[in-house]
Amino acid sequence: MQFKSTARVIRTSVLAVLGLIWLLPVYLLLVNAAKSPETFTTKESWLPTDFSLFGNIAEALELSGLAESAASTLLYSVVSPAIAVLVGAAAGFAIVALRLRHGFAWFVAIFGGTVFPLQMILLPLFDAYSRTGLFDTQAGMIVVYTAISIPFSAFVMRNFFSGIAHNVFEAAVIDGATTWRIFARVYLPMASSALVAIFILQATFIWNDFLLGLVLSQSDTVRPIVTSLAGMQSTYGGAQMSTVLAGGLLVSLPTVVLFLFTQKFFARGLALGQY
Amino acid sequence: MTDKTLSPSALRRRDQYRWSALGFIAPGVLLVAVLLYLPLLWTTFLSLTEYNGLGDPEWIGIENYVEMFDDPGFIGSVLNTLLWVAGTLLVPVGIGLGVALLTWNLKGGTWLRLPFLIPYALSGIGVGVIWSFILSGDGALDQALAAFGIDDTPRWLVDAPLNTVVMILATAWQGVGVNALLFTIGLQSIPREPLEAAKMDGANGLRMFRSILWPMLRPLTAVVVGLSIVASLKTFDIVQGMTKGGPGRDSETLALTMYKETFVNSEYGLGSAIAVFLTVVTLIASILYLRQQLSSKHGA
Repeated sequence: MQFKSTARVIRTSVLAVLGLIWLLPVYLLLVNAAKSPETFTTKESWLPTDFSLFGNIAEALELSGLAESAASTLLYSVVSPAIAVLVGAAAGFAIVALRLRHGFAWFVAIFGGTVFPLQMILLPLFDAYSRTGLFDTQAGMIVVYTAISIPFSAFVMRNFFSGIAHNVFEAAVIDGATTWRIFARVYLPMASSALVAIFILQATFIWNDFLLGLVLSQSDTVRPIVTSLAGMQSTYGGAQMSTVLAGGLLVSLPTVVLFLFTQKFFARGLALGQY
Repeated sequence: MTDKTLSPSALRRRDQYRWSALGFIAPGVLLVAVLLYLPLLWTTFLSLTEYNGLGDPEWIGIENYVEMFDDPGFIGSVLNTLLWVAGTLLVPVGIGLGVALLTWNLKGGTWLRLPFLIPYALSGIGVGVIWSFILSGDGALDQALAAFGIDDTPRWLVDAPLNTVVMILATAWQGVGVNALLFTIGLQSIPREPLEAAKMDGANGLRMFRSILWPMLRPLTAVVVGLSIVASLKTFDIVQGMTKGGPGRDSETLALTMYKETFVNSEYGLGSAIAVFLTVVTLIASILYLRQQLSSKHGA
């Protein structure tokens, strides 16, 4: 017993010290994002001087079109995962409940879309988007974000539906329900927690995207927020560092808060997809 | 339920259902085919051509690949990418496992895990903004070291390969939490009996880890390691955010080299060849964890 409690104290202390180290960058971000551009200096980073956080955030929203970006990015990270979740669920439903012929081959075909790096599709997408007028449009961004979210969504939903007894489906068939009805009224409601888990994971992923935004957009109104932040960092990183840090804080807050409050869903999504 | 228990009309309906299955899978297949597979094939084709976006691609066979391997900058990029793979396996996966083991069955473990989870949902660029600030000359880290009397600090983001190493550590700061979370899920799914039995036999912490925990975590570890390798091969955001691959090309990764050749130098053929190379390497690495994923799920 004595040994056990000593081990517990050691474990707790190691974790606490390591945890404090982990929080230092967060502390530095908060303290320096709150310094007004006048009092900010790169030589004194550890002590707070004043509290101009909200002024800095307002200023950051003006610079590099961060405010416009925020609105567009919110649109992308709600609409795209919502569509992807439904499309993925429909695919899983077709394979598992409707017993699509060669279902596993179809599944591999969809899931295979996620195993290669984005670099493999960037140039043709850029080329095709430029030719078809989708370049630098919100519709273009929504389409590409939807497409890259589908493989994971189909993967998780197929796994999830595999866990539902097939006589649930047979019973609905005997009742004479149409496939659409069985999908929308029986299968989707049963899968709501998995749907939410996928939605949250994909929304976070899309909010944090940098590369697709960099290649497929250029105007402030279309450009996703992280790409705008990167632009702001290289343009104003020297002269207005505290404003850039405030911008970084603003961009990061939504996903960090969402994640901390939905850890359970995240863990579930991770476990469902072994992601 | 067998076919005999269904009425003829229900049977007919079920045949219709098989057809409607195609309708349900079509949107997913179409979107993935048009936006992922077609571009993939086009990039593969372009890698065998000379093309700068104007006129038509001109077939040159494997010349881009020859040029690629002749370029010392590309070789440096490959080496940096390997450093990323090794570094992210060693640091975030290792510490993540450590945190999971330390918090396992510990009172307040959920709270003690929290600091590691906060950075997880940050974007690569967000991490870059914070760490560029900390690591700048005379920045927060240098000030802290000066307080301990260390004045002669290296230029963290300028000296290679130190710049790659510190960027790996910044990524580790972000990645430990999710690895800890995954390993925690793994630990929680281990059945109690063998653990109790080992405790009765008086196995200590290290022995218990070696003989029971580690073997039982193996499938999950394969997944975490596979994901870590695949993700680190694609490293782009944080490097582009912190050094832009510089100074010169000193901290370029493959993903960055591809981006620069394609979108900065307009060398579409060469950029595509690098993308193909990166993809082949990633696919080989993916087999490690895909086999695990598909075999465990396709059991039925």
